[in-house]
Amino acid sequence: MAATPATPGQPAIQIRDLVRRFGDLTALHGISLDVHPGEIYGLVGPDGAGKTTTIRIIAGLMDADQGSVVVLGLAPDDPRVRESVGMMPQRYSLYGDLSVGENLDFFRQLFCLPRAQARQRIQRLLALTRLSPFVDRRADDLSGGMYKKLALACALLHEPRVLLLDEPTNGVDPVSRRELWTLLDEFVAEGMAVLVSTPYMDEAERCHRVGLLHCGRLIAQGVPATLVHDLDHPVFVVEGGDRAVLQELVEAAPEVQAASPAGARLRVVVKPGATAALRERLAGVDAHLEPTRASFEDVFVARIGALEEAAA
Amino acid sequence: MRARRFLIRVWALAHKESLHIRRDPLTLYLGLLLPLIMALLFGFGISFDIDHIPLAVADLDRSPQSRALVQDFVAAQEFEYRADLLDPDRAIRLMASDRATAVLTIPQGYARSLDRGETAVVGLQIDASDPNTAQQALARADIMAQVATARIAAEAGLLEKGSGGLPLSARTWTRFNPAARSALFLVPGVTAYVLALVAVLLTSLAVAREWERGSMEQLFATPVGRLEIVIGKLLPYLAMGCVQVLLVMTASAWVFDLPFRGSLVLLAFASLLFMLGMLGQGLLISVITRNQMVATQTSMLSAMLPSMLLSGFMFPIDNMPLFLRVISHLVPARYYIAILRGVLLKGNGVAELWGQVAMLALFALVMIAVSTVRFTRKLA
Repeated sequence: MAATPATPGQPAIQIRDLVRRFGDLTALHGISLDVHPGEIYGLVGPDGAGKTTTIRIIAGLMDADQGSVVVLGLAPDDPRVRESVGMMPQRYSLYGDLSVGENLDFFRQLFCLPRAQARQRIQRLLALTRLSPFVDRRADDLSGGMYKKLALACALLHEPRVLLLDEPTNGVDPVSRRELWTLLDEFVAEGMAVLVSTPYMDEAERCHRVGLLHCGRLIAQGVPATLVHDLDHPVFVVEGGDRAVLQELVEAAPEVQAASPAGARLRVVVKPGATAALRERLAGVDAHLEPTRASFEDVFVARIGALEEAAA
Repeated sequence: MRARRFLIRVWALAHKESLHIRRDPLTLYLGLLLPLIMALLFGFGISFDIDHIPLAVADLDRSPQSRALVQDFVAAQEFEYRADLLDPDRAIRLMASDRATAVLTIPQGYARSLDRGETAVVGLQIDASDPNTAQQALARADIMAQVATARIAAEAGLLEKGSGGLPLSARTWTRFNPAARSALFLVPGVTAYVLALVAVLLTSLAVAREWERGSMEQLFATPVGRLEIVIGKLLPYLAMGCVQVLLVMTASAWVFDLPFRGSLVLLAFASLLFMLGMLGQGLLISVITRNQMVATQTSMLSAMLPSMLLSGFMFPIDNMPLFLRVISHLVPARYYIAILRGVLLKGNGVAELWGQVAMLALFALVMIAVSTVRFTRKLA
């Protein structure tokens, strides 16, 4: 029933020029992206960028105003697609008064999985998420991290070919976050296509490809390492000088694209070709620039800074 | 294959919903305890039957005849002797302070008038701030006066002994509820009211909760269809409604001797239709409001108040102004109460009640159809 043959090379999710409005507000201004089988695609951006709206449209929970969405070769609200798509919403969306086991069993039945076959999967998922000792615990009594792992287990129960995760690690402790990502890697290795949204830049670097979403627009797309490598803005840490004076100076300097605190010091993303001018300016306050490795976050702030400058 | 999957999903949803019900003390209370409490409360506490009406007497005659009249009034316990007034002007104060509902004044010379064969006049004042009580007190006083007249006439030899009474007497029968007990009148109303309350409120809360807590999003992301959600959600509450009807009927039969004179099958069928209509209304409310708070208030306004006020539960529909009579036709409780009273008290069957049953079926059909259509599998 759910067997839409996967043509080799054809993306599992294909979005073209997606537009969605809520009244006067345009949440998505024409987004296009592909997610392939065996790939984790990270949708990265701050709150309100349009991540949840994008995921909901792909899951068939909302309609697009314009543009096209094809999931496994079908329209997203086609009942056959739902058999092969797993979704983990951002909000708490399991049943808090049901136990871990009851929640899993409910979703097992909704997907009409035979009990014997499902039991093995449930055992495996419980083991992977290390929730086995808590089968009888009410979902409401789980910690944030355990709850998210249960939600992930519920979304994976029917072995979907496409997995949609809306900020799965929001409110989760660092250890559980790492566990969640390790889990994802395991399933992706089996050929699943994963679209994950996150506001955390460090998580973006764990994706195969990322799209930077800002105010309803994809402002950059690509392999994280390549995006970092291709950043034409040099990145430095400011050494020496008085912190308060430096902060004011750096923020006002036209050569600086973006500045952010890095421990006790300042990290600056400098506009292309403006390094010399900034060095001179800093020499006046007894400070100098130390080169440092660009990170994914630098890419993001550089892109947004450039956009906002262009708009002003 | 498709039918099997449909049934599996409906069962999954119904089972999940029954787990919610079992774990929520409020739902259990509303569903099972409240109907019993209401039935007993209305059956016992809220009674239109009035006896032991507090009576004060201003006997200015102080004769054996006047004492016999007072005895006539209190003998049947319709009136209860509370106070003796020397000053008839204090009557109004006594009624104002609620110590007496009726004051009987026997003027000086009462015995003498009777002896002379003249018409003796006595006065009865009744507190009419509660018209229902006043009316009943008046009716009872009338009967007492007749009883006294007959006795006096017989004593005076005006009537032949054992001849049967006064020249004119009407013999009246009250049928179906011979003792005119309000419990028998109210229990059908309570049943309908409680079912309306629980069915509309609980369903609307159940679906609105799913929206509010975000689980609808997860549900919509699975292959489950909207008809499956609707049926799966309604089934447990339908079962609960059946338990309620049985509980209220059994308790009422036991405690109030509620008779059962008509067709059990018809009653069961009508109850099912009525519940489906109420469940459908609850569903429609929650599909539109998506919010527990608003759903509760809408349920109150659209189901509970009409079921209590416009259904004939307590206030006869025939006495309402035209405007309200027209609206009452949209209140399913009206038909259900008519069916309950017909089946329980009058022994009615399909021949008398098919019209009411048809209205219930129509209401249920419209509600469930409209709410299923309005229930889109989209978040926005």
